[in-house]
Amino acid sequence: MHPAIEVVKLKRLFRKKQARRSWRTVVALEEIDLEIQEGELFGVLGPNGAGKTTLIKILATLLLPTSGQAFVDGIDVVKDPRAVRRRINMVSGGEHSGYGILTVRETLWMFSQFYGVPGKVARERINELLRVVGLEEEANTRISRLSTGMRQKMNFARGFVSDPKIVFLDEPTLGLDVGAARDARNFIKSWVKDRPGKTVLLTTHYMTEAEELCDRVAIIDRGKILACDTPENLKRRVKKDSIFHLEVAGLDSWEGLHEIAGVKQLVSTPRDGFTELKFILDHEDVLPQLLGKITERGSRVLYMRKTEPTLEDVFIELVGRSLEVDTAER
Amino acid sequence: MSASGLVMNLRAIWARAYVRVVGANRELSWLFFDTFLPLLGTSAYVFIYKAMKAPPEFTGFVILGGAMTAYWLNVLWNMASQFYWEKEQGQLQLFLISPTSPMVILLGMALGGMFMTTIRAGSILILGSLIFRVQFTVQQPLLLALLFFLALAALYGLGMLFASLFMLYGREAWHLSNLLQEPVYLLSGLYFPVRGLGFWVAAAASVIPLTLGLDGIRQLAFGGAGWGFLAPEYELALLAFLSIVFIYFARRALRFMEELAKREGRLTLRWQ
Amino acid sequence: MAVSVSRRVREGFGAFRTATRLGWQIESNWADPLVFAIYSIIKPVAASLILVFMYLVITRGKAGTELFAYIYVGNAFYIFVGGVLFGISWAIIDDREHYEMLKYIYLSPIRIYIYLLGRGMARLFISAISVAIALSFGALLLKVPLRITAIDYPYLFAGLILGLGGVIALGIILAGVCLITARHSWGISESVAGAFYLLCGVVFPLDVLPRWAQAIGVVLPPTYWIEAMRRAALGEEVAGVSQVLGRFSNSSLLLVLLGTTAGLMFISHLFFRAAEGRARRRGLIDQRTDY
Repeated sequence: MHPAIEVVKLKRLFRKKQARRSWRTVVALEEIDLEIQEGELFGVLGPNGAGKTTLIKILATLLLPTSGQAFVDGIDVVKDPRAVRRRINMVSGGEHSGYGILTVRETLWMFSQFYGVPGKVARERINELLRVVGLEEEANTRISRLSTGMRQKMNFARGFVSDPKIVFLDEPTLGLDVGAARDARNFIKSWVKDRPGKTVLLTTHYMTEAEELCDRVAIIDRGKILACDTPENLKRRVKKDSIFHLEVAGLDSWEGLHEIAGVKQLVSTPRDGFTELKFILDHEDVLPQLLGKITERGSRVLYMRKTEPTLEDVFIELVGRSLEVDTAER
Repeated sequence: MSASGLVMNLRAIWARAYVRVVGANRELSWLFFDTFLPLLGTSAYVFIYKAMKAPPEFTGFVILGGAMTAYWLNVLWNMASQFYWEKEQGQLQLFLISPTSPMVILLGMALGGMFMTTIRAGSILILGSLIFRVQFTVQQPLLLALLFFLALAALYGLGMLFASLFMLYGREAWHLSNLLQEPVYLLSGLYFPVRGLGFWVAAAASVIPLTLGLDGIRQLAFGGAGWGFLAPEYELALLAFLSIVFIYFARRALRFMEELAKREGRLTLRWQ
Repeated sequence: MAVSVSRRVREGFGAFRTATRLGWQIESNWADPLVFAIYSIIKPVAASLILVFMYLVITRGKAGTELFAYIYVGNAFYIFVGGVLFGISWAIIDDREHYEMLKYIYLSPIRIYIYLLGRGMARLFISAISVAIALSFGALLLKVPLRITAIDYPYLFAGLILGLGGVIALGIILAGVCLITARHSWGISESVAGAFYLLCGVVFPLDVLPRWAQAIGVVLPPTYWIEAMRRAALGEEVAGVSQVLGRFSNSSLLLVLLGTTAGLMFISHLFFRAAEGRARRRGLIDQRTDY
């Protein structure tokens, strides 16, 4: 049996204009390989600009690769896009497309018809999806009168209205409030588990989302897949390390802390009135020396905690940056 | 195309058309701007002929031209250029990831848009004819109806061909639409018999389906004494040919431009 | 107080300059100057040629009459109306539904009139080029009796400024309409311009219109404006073509233009304020209405 999604040495370059008549080439994806099995809920975790959306656009037949191959349900996305489109759907977070003058129900109905869903089935499915995303009361409200979050919920429902075999979710909870994001995650989970043969490829830069939802996760940065495994196995990579979370006041510079033997990675995030530091250490014995160096500079340790490894730590170990800082910076 | 594919495409056409009709009915301000005001605009050309003391059939020419303008504008702005708008608002990519073809979506837009357009064209034709007392002497109504429908088929085929540009381009193609508007009014003889342009210019202008369609309809509605360009039967044959050519090339062009846009990464590029 | 006024003027001018620059960027950034120039030529020349051929078909090839000049010059100056109406009113739709910036414009201290005027300036400028091209084309190739030395420039500029004031006021009214209605089609400004094309006797003497239409035409500033432009360009003799307008002397024509323009500006201000109020009450400022 073929995998649900297979990507072989997939590469995509973009030309970006720098100045008048001057272009530079940007590598969005650098010969990546990936195999996702049917029934899997697969996550691609990485900061903004890592290449996640480019990957989804290629798989969703909206973009051609520069080189390499990609197959969806065994079909080449370049050679037979129409056949691929019968099997897929896509939701992009933060997207608020839709005709403002139409109601939520009319919009979902329109999209269901683009996939040839029979009227009765479409109506039942739309009712079910409206219930799931909590838009039942707004079913007959014009889109132009929806809040941003509601519009995104509708967009989320749109992605499932065709009951696709494979669904691409590009940052699906971006912009949703905590409750709505939780509902969306629950729906995604049950959609895959309750329907054999369905596959989800989800991109996110929220590590908890990837951790909570995904059977397997690929960590991607600057167009390269750095690791790909189950969340547990990925975390095992940093399990033998000691991870410490510190909040330090009066720390002007953390230069030199990196050079202490046994400090594998260090990430600093400035907060309001203090600095948050995350250390991945070879072993706990390094800690006294590290704390000594910090206090020597006149800084005060406000808080310290040893933490269990998360996917964030895996990302830090692999990339040397925090996902949060990186995303904010870009 | 398989039976299920056909059903899916028909559903998609109906859905996109329905949306247009529902949208138009939900907010009726267009009735004033798209029917009453264009009638006034068309009337201006009637009064130019009145000021020139032109023969009465020229009033009918203008009324027919004004009615057909509605279809040209629907093709240009509510179908071809609508792709630009869809792209800018993020809808185009959602259409394209669905298994229907862009032609189906365009056809749905065109048919839905025809609801408004036909009201506009009909009101210009009926009210204009009543107000200015246009005398129609319709000969061969079947041929007239065929000419009208083939002119529309070729015109919408041309519009689809044009829409393919929007797969790749944004504002440039939008301005091209804008640029084409008046030259097409001129070359298709919307307000005067196209023969007035001279044979060769009129022959070249016949690539615009409105030219032959309008000339044929005018001849059949008013009698073509001395000012018709070609015999309506020839015009019908040429329009049938143009319909096939435009629809064929539109299909090819939409595919080609989609591929090109996918290669260049411009299919989903907004605010170009 | 004086400082505050001069500061407000300075700020207003700065905002106007920015909006003008933005309008120009949006209108022109898609093409190189050569293509842009062709664009500015083709549209007005094609629009003028429609009238030329209508005329030639009826007169069997005889151009160069007084009526032809009357029609041609009126049509050439009318390019301003379509351009300015589109420029100002389309800014509302474009910024609301395409760039999604209208709400931020409203949030900023910039006066919306100044912003709309600035956005419309690009079209005004393009229209001015088109008018010049259409007039040159008529003079050089169609025997329209336009002589650079014979044009009454002070009258032309006075009329132009007043007339454009009226057209801008119309543009503001249309912008108000756009603010409270859905985007049904691209051509709302064109439809409105088409209606004024009829009622203002742009391409025929007002006398050929039925009485009710004449009654509307005589209260609309573009009627007097276009007539003033014709007289400035072709000489006072052209006044004889229309009996309705022929009874006004050149100066009284300007005076009536001034009065009707002032009235229209006042109405446009009231209308736009009312539309704005309705838009704010109903939450329409950031609506999306496409379908």
